[in-house]
Amino acid sequence: MSESINADRGLTYPGNLGCPGCGASIAINHALKGLGEKTVLVIPACCFAIMAGPYPMTALKVPILHTAFATAAVSAAGVRAGLDMQGDTETTVVAWAGDGGTFDIGIQSLSGTAERNDDIIFVCYDNEAYMNTGVQRSSATPYGTRTTTTPGAGWKRTRKKNIMEIMAAHRIPYAATANIAFPDDFIRKFAKAREMRGGTRFIHVFSSCPTGWGVASSLAIKIARLATRSNIFPLYEIENGTDWTLNLEGDLPVGDYLGAQGRFRHLTPEDLEQIQQEVDADLALIQERVAATRVRKAHLKPET
Amino acid sequence: MIASLRPTLLFPVSRTSTEANRTGSWRFVRPVYRFKTAPCSAACPAGIDIPTVEMLASRGQIHDAWAHICRENPFPAVCGRVCFHPCEDACNRAELDAPIAINALERYIGDAGLAACSPLVSPAAALLQREVAIVGAGPAGLAAGYFLTQLGISAEIFESTEEPGGVLRWGIPSYRLPKAVLAAEIDRIAAAGVKIHCNRPVNPDTLAEMAARYDAVLVGAGLAAPLRLNISGEASIIDGLAFLKQVQAGSAPVASGEVAVIGGGNTAIDVARTLLRQGARPTIVYRRRRQDMPAFGHEIAAAEAEGVRIVELMAPVSAAADGNGVRMTLQPMRAAEVGADGRVRAVPAKQPPQEMRFKAVFSGIGAGVAEPWHRPADEADAIRLSHCAICRGTPTVGYIGDPVTAENSVAHAIGSGKQAAIALHALFTEGPEAVAPAVDRCRVGPGPALSMEIYLNGERSRRNGRVVTFADVNTDYFLRAERCAIPALAPAAAANGFEEAVATLKPRDALAEAARCFNCGICNDCDNCRIFCPEQTILVGEGGRRSVDLDYCKGCGICTVECPRCAMDMEEESA
Ligand SMILES: Cc1ncc(C[n+]2csc(CCOP(=O)(O)OP(=O)(O)O)c2C)c(N)n1
Ligand code: SF4
Ligand code: SF4
Ligand SMILES: [Mg+2]
Repeated sequence: MSESINADRGLTYPGNLGCPGCGASIAINHALKGLGEKTVLVIPACCFAIMAGPYPMTALKVPILHTAFATAAVSAAGVRAGLDMQGDTETTVVAWAGDGGTFDIGIQSLSGTAERNDDIIFVCYDNEAYMNTGVQRSSATPYGTRTTTTPGAGWKRTRKKNIMEIMAAHRIPYAATANIAFPDDFIRKFAKAREMRGGTRFIHVFSSCPTGWGVASSLAIKIARLATRSNIFPLYEIENGTDWTLNLEGDLPVGDYLGAQGRFRHLTPEDLEQIQQEVDADLALIQERVAATRVRKAHLKPET
Repeated sequence: MIASLRPTLLFPVSRTSTEANRTGSWRFVRPVYRFKTAPCSAACPAGIDIPTVEMLASRGQIHDAWAHICRENPFPAVCGRVCFHPCEDACNRAELDAPIAINALERYIGDAGLAACSPLVSPAAALLQREVAIVGAGPAGLAAGYFLTQLGISAEIFESTEEPGGVLRWGIPSYRLPKAVLAAEIDRIAAAGVKIHCNRPVNPDTLAEMAARYDAVLVGAGLAAPLRLNISGEASIIDGLAFLKQVQAGSAPVASGEVAVIGGGNTAIDVARTLLRQGARPTIVYRRRRQDMPAFGHEIAAAEAEGVRIVELMAPVSAAADGNGVRMTLQPMRAAEVGADGRVRAVPAKQPPQEMRFKAVFSGIGAGVAEPWHRPADEADAIRLSHCAICRGTPTVGYIGDPVTAENSVAHAIGSGKQAAIALHALFTEGPEAVAPAVDRCRVGPGPALSMEIYLNGERSRRNGRVVTFADVNTDYFLRAERCAIPALAPAAAANGFEEAVATLKPRDALAEAARCFNCGICNDCDNCRIFCPEQTILVGEGGRRSVDLDYCKGCGICTVECPRCAMDMEEESA
């Protein structure tokens, strides 16, 4: 290798133990660009807990606190309280959990933290199943998915839990979705969340899992991009639980996204049609809220 | 403190990094940076590195873009006006929306070079003690002189007329190519060290004298003999090429009324549009179908928009002059089968011949070789290359330009001069056996375009010859965007005089147009590979050159898929 090489790897070390093409790995790279080095991560059990380094190794140049599966949010709040006692108001505390650690086992601690409006950023990197233990379904697993606990004809018949609406219901200052395939938007949202300080900020990250989804590792970004372009994973922000902004409107049918993945390969055209209708309805709901936000804001503004 | 409560015992802290895990050992395929060939550049007879030129232009580095063109073509302002731009027909962007306006951008960049009075870069190769004489200061001869100089070989051009330029000067009307633009680009070639002697006609005797004094002679005499129609009354038909020359010299009689131009090539179009500008009403009479006309499509369209009438499938049988003009007898034709040349033949239709009257009739069917010594003898011991022929012996005599190129255009003439310069350099430095391989090595993709940068072992020589297709482009990164409108005079206004019919792009439009380019097959520093690499293994070296840290690359292949322009490939690990 030539000596002139700039080995700028940001705030991560190479050599993490994630699968080739892991979306969580890309997500942490993007996220730390927005968060900066004054960051502490709190990580519960999940794939990323392994990737962040088996003891005595670390894959990140920022401190990490490993915590129990159910306790990411409260542990982060605890770290925040500790830092406050030390007079450190600069460092950002970030809980970094999978969908299992967010939607399922982690939700009571997350809800409690959000209700107390503790000063942390909670990031859910969502790969839509319990990947670290072998692809078991979670409540973030979408309708139509085959997992090891929803195999064969028993594919998941219930829809994905809408975590964003749950978080909005807590009226926290900021909740946003982000996708690894849209780095500019992704980094902007992390930087914005960092600057907001003082309350609970929640970021729901779309994070492909080539291994669990039956997708070639090389297509991890392409698939993620399709998720947003088909409106299955819209990019939007909610401030104070009520002010909605849609960042990007997709232009592709859901079939382009679903058809490219092994976990959805069994779906019939009728299934796709049903999913399309749900996706359209969900997007329409977001659009209604965006429109309502605009009307409300126009109303609040004094006439000029 | 109680020993068991010491924090280090309660909180195990990781103190080493995962860098110890050489995850590169997991890999069974590896990404490689492999820059490839853009279809436009392979289609350019002058072999210009178009993706790089557009990349530089899109960044506003117009001078760098200009210098980059000049490595392969010393005539950007000329070609930006007169080239038939086969590059645009090959452009991948056509499949998304519309091809890049490569020709208009070349003109924009070329004009910027003229405005800045930028000198051509000095010779890139070591000086050789060799001297080459060139017969004819047309585009092929001037290009040969320029490229020889680049290769450290001194070149002297002998031109029979009083000014250099050849067909560019006397054949191409000034509404397409203003004389000042031509003169400025020729002056720059002279300033780069090419000696140009005017009023020095060469004949076989003087050629022999020259051959004795120089290490080689290149003959680039062009096509100067008008082709004959071989019909009765031909004497009453005016030679279109001679007419164009007279117009350039300001000595042509002004035509008026209904006039005819016979032919379907670019000469016919140039003659007709010139006549129109003199105030006449020209009709082009062509023996095949309109779509079979060999003239460039955009020239035909411009002529028609200005008011030139085209009569297809009419073959002249005879012409007769009387006091009032010329009476043409024309045979109606019909399209027949495809001929040996691959073109649809025209054969006489059943209808009887027709008569048409014109104030004057011009022939515009092109030209042939004026003197037998302007092209190599069939029996000569010659290295026959795609764009030139080098006859070995003492002395070495090479032939360049229209008499030896399969297609005749300014860009082909430039390619011809370049090929001859490379051939002579290889001959002088490594001997006759080296000529064909040297030329072959310079091919841009499958060729026949040739690159001087490749010959000089520049960055392009490390590119892969595979031509990038539209399917290779990751169109996730390109939104549809309208092609720039090329500013032009309204046809009616253009037809009124010899002012340039087409204008140069405005800076904003030029930059936006250049930014539409996919930059097929090259790296434009978009950084996608690095941004999306999950392992942070993409390293950036000097000049933005990227490499993969194979100690850690797991071979996921995301970089290669997300490179919008196919500058990377995945390769199987060899065990
Ligand atoms: C209380 C408890 N239950 C079960 C586990 C086993 N476990 C470890 S990681 C994991 C799955 C995590 O899934 P998710 O949060 O979605 O993260 P992912 O691995 O998919 O990234 C499970 C079930 C555990 N560590 N702790
Ligand atoms: S998009 Fe650019 S590089 Fe690609 S073919 Fe067209 S002009 Fe050439
Ligand atoms: S992704 Fe961008 S930076 Fe990387 S090789 Fe391709 S063009 Fe260059
Ligand atoms: Mg998960």
